[in-house]
Amino acid sequence: MKGDVLVVGAGVVGCSVARALSRYNLNVIVLEAGSDVAEGASKANSAIVHAGFDAKPGTNKAKFNVLGNRMFEDLCRELKVPFRRNGSLVLAFGAAEERALEELVEKAAKNGVPVEIIGQEELRRREPNVSPEATAALWAPTGGICCPYELTFRLAENAAANGVEFVFDAKVTAIEGDRRQSTAIDGDQPPLAGAWRLTAADGRVFEARAVVNCAGIHSDELNNLVSATKYAIAARRGEYLMLDKDEDGTFSATMFQVPSKMGKGILVSPTVDGTMIVGPTAEDIPDKEDRATTYEGLEKVKAGARRTYPNLPLGKVITEFSGLRAHETTVGDFILGEAPDAPGFFNAVGVESPGLTSAPAIGEWLAAQVAERLGASRKSPSIISKDVSWWPKAREMRPEDLAELVERDPSFGRVICRCEGVTEGEIRAAIRARVGARTLDGIKRRTRSGMGRCQGGFCTPRLIEILGSELGLPPEAFLLSRKTAPKELREQSSRLDGAAVTSVDVLVIGAGPAGLAAACAARDAGAKEVLVIERDDAPGGILQQCIHNGFGLHRFQEELTGPEYAQRYVDMARERGVRIVCGTMVMRLEGSGAVGGPEVTAMSPRGGLKVYRAKSVVLAMGCRERPRGALMTPGTRPAGVYTAGTVQRLVNMDGIMPGKRVVILGSGDIGLIMARRLTFSGAKVLACIEIMKKSSGLMRNVVQCLNDYDIPLLLSHTVTDVEGREHVTGVKVSKVDDRLQPIPGTEMHFDCDTLVLSCGLIPENELTRKAGIEMDPRTRGPKVDPKTMATSAPGIFAGGNVVRVYDLVDWVSRDSEIAGRNAAAYALGACF
Amino acid sequence: MKMICINCPKGCEMDVTVDGDRVTVVGNTCPKGEAYAKAEVTNPTRMVTGLVRVAGTRKPLPVKTRTPVPKPKIDAVLFALHQATVQLPVRIGDVIIPDVAETGVDIVATANM
Repeated sequence: MKGDVLVVGAGVVGCSVARALSRYNLNVIVLEAGSDVAEGASKANSAIVHAGFDAKPGTNKAKFNVLGNRMFEDLCRELKVPFRRNGSLVLAFGAAEERALEELVEKAAKNGVPVEIIGQEELRRREPNVSPEATAALWAPTGGICCPYELTFRLAENAAANGVEFVFDAKVTAIEGDRRQSTAIDGDQPPLAGAWRLTAADGRVFEARAVVNCAGIHSDELNNLVSATKYAIAARRGEYLMLDKDEDGTFSATMFQVPSKMGKGILVSPTVDGTMIVGPTAEDIPDKEDRATTYEGLEKVKAGARRTYPNLPLGKVITEFSGLRAHETTVGDFILGEAPDAPGFFNAVGVESPGLTSAPAIGEWLAAQVAERLGASRKSPSIISKDVSWWPKAREMRPEDLAELVERDPSFGRVICRCEGVTEGEIRAAIRARVGARTLDGIKRRTRSGMGRCQGGFCTPRLIEILGSELGLPPEAFLLSRKTAPKELREQSSRLDGAAVTSVDVLVIGAGPAGLAAACAARDAGAKEVLVIERDDAPGGILQQCIHNGFGLHRFQEELTGPEYAQRYVDMARERGVRIVCGTMVMRLEGSGAVGGPEVTAMSPRGGLKVYRAKSVVLAMGCRERPRGALMTPGTRPAGVYTAGTVQRLVNMDGIMPGKRVVILGSGDIGLIMARRLTFSGAKVLACIEIMKKSSGLMRNVVQCLNDYDIPLLLSHTVTDVEGREHVTGVKVSKVDDRLQPIPGTEMHFDCDTLVLSCGLIPENELTRKAGIEMDPRTRGPKVDPKTMATSAPGIFAGGNVVRVYDLVDWVSRDSEIAGRNAAAYALGACF
Repeated sequence: MKMICINCPKGCEMDVTVDGDRVTVVGNTCPKGEAYAKAEVTNPTRMVTGLVRVAGTRKPLPVKTRTPVPKPKIDAVLFALHQATVQLPVRIGDVIIPDVAETGVDIVATANM
């Protein structure tokens, strides 16, 4: 492949350079070692647009930080990516640190950054959740937040719209340059005559007149192949915790602490997505690919964050991750521009924090340098495309606009990721974009599907289905590399779908055993119009995938499998004339709608957006599993880590085996059941690891799922490290002491390709919380009156795992029947 | 010998003594426990639930043994399930494999597909 310029690296810097170069009459090719844009530091950093008060005056870091910061409003508007100038605060704890703030004020003045110092009272007024130990703070109003991978992705899209080509999986391993220069004419700088020749690991050869080295953490290696001026990049790892959206609004500004030599310290910041980010640590590590989190690192993050935010709620952590800063150790600054002894070879070496902020300015500046060197002219503004492959985000749309969109394109009515409200239409758009998603991670970063509190537990099987159908590739090809599977799952619904109903007596959310039991009981108690709304394509809920026996001993006096139990209720509902609408996601629940009484807004591909008015509502949304992030297991983040429920769906419903050698963390019932299922399906289950002194699952499941098949149950043990970069290769397991802390010297190792998590269930109460219904912090479900199952909102009842996690479906049905009966009584006019 | 009953979620812990033909069970809270314990020392049995390939789709059909089968036969039952392919449509209770692995027990469908 030949072009005028080869940009090596598709991070935020490489994509900024490429987009800026696309404004010139040049053929530009971006070579990326990974299989997507933003796979290095651009995907894992603090997501902060720094004000620039901290950088040493006179350095490239200071210059480009300030220049870049000023570009963000316009750039983000053009690229249609979210950006918020929320301002930054640097906290001082005591007199010594207050003096350090004074030094920052001086630096800020030199860098041309507006700042002011505010006292404790003003600080507390602005940020009521900040630690009372903070005595003063530096306020920098120009600080901001943005989403680094979304920015990178849209930069790439716009570059591609203007002719830039992207080549992935092309790790540059060799580079040769023809360094002859043509003769200068009339004293002008001589244009470059020779060509650079880059060879990728797979043998592909790329040629161009100029090269821009934006290889991030590996930019020193590329430079050192070419230039006698050698650089050395240390991988400076930063570990982070991400907290759930419940924490949105805790802080308005980005909360820094007084910086140290190693970086800007542990920050606590809101993100543009409404989550809260906490971190990073700073630790130089020898291995440039080691993105594992560590026990020690995460402890440091927690301790550091608590200084700012003493009430840091660890229960709200949804994931943890680490990123590697490209820290240049000889100069300690961004190294930008043409290498002195390699004409046509341009560097962006050592671009660490404030790299994200600086990237737009670095891009413009380097592109101008390259264009000048190549004698390239600017394109006429009229032919520059503004396109960024934008697609609508259902979660951000006004209901009426969304309704119109769904009518035009029903795929925007099918919610795939329920935590983040991402629709099929968005996911398909992300795959079909110019620089489209090819992996689960690619979809995740472009759409947020799988990024919410369940961390892909529910949507992963659906995502691999869409990826498979869009890319026309078989599931096996993807399983190992985090890409995946086929279509055909969804066609079989619709049989039960009722006609459109807008006004009903009792509306039930969820057609699992709880919802169906409530609906049947409501009919039996005299409610006329009973409607059940179900997100999935068929009724039955999670029981459909629980193909083992052991259900219904109490309710039906016989032992049934999950699908059999579910079918009994589906049949009972049908006999009673209950209407079930499948493939429909409830977007909003209001305790008191336009005409008083509860109101439910739901969306489906065929029906679009609809409002249902009900006399009473039964919440029966069930529960979800605790994802890996919530467990804070250190280690890498490879493919091959699933929750037990996800594996259950893959194996039992989709016919996909995730692996051959399996370790199970946690001894919840689903984990135990899956130990047996995976054994039946030909996998070797090496062990079940439980941190507590006894199994959290039922003893009968320990007996018939583990003991029967000689699967060891290691009590008082936990997984202390997950290994493998692309895919799980093994786990380290340690014994824990009485305080559940790992005991050094007790490590043992398992070679495995799959880690299954079965560490508990949490009631699913997004809708409940948003409707302002009072919650019980102990059960994590709504507070209910056990006699009637009424919640704090008049006319809204709840039943099943949405209230608290039950260990037996028979009790789910029983309590949901109470909810259904009382919902019917309420609808018929009874007082509560 | 110590034994945990698998009949219901209670999981009664039982003490089982075998003296020739006489089996004594202590600790059970219902007759099912005693029956289970006696079977465990003479002829232990298990329900087997599993999956069967379906012609023309990747989605498998869930099935079960209609009644428990002897424990030593589980591997043979699984092997038979692995060998089988069914044609749709299938209703709950349809016999998928009669007399699986010569146990005298049928494999039946547990879902409508």
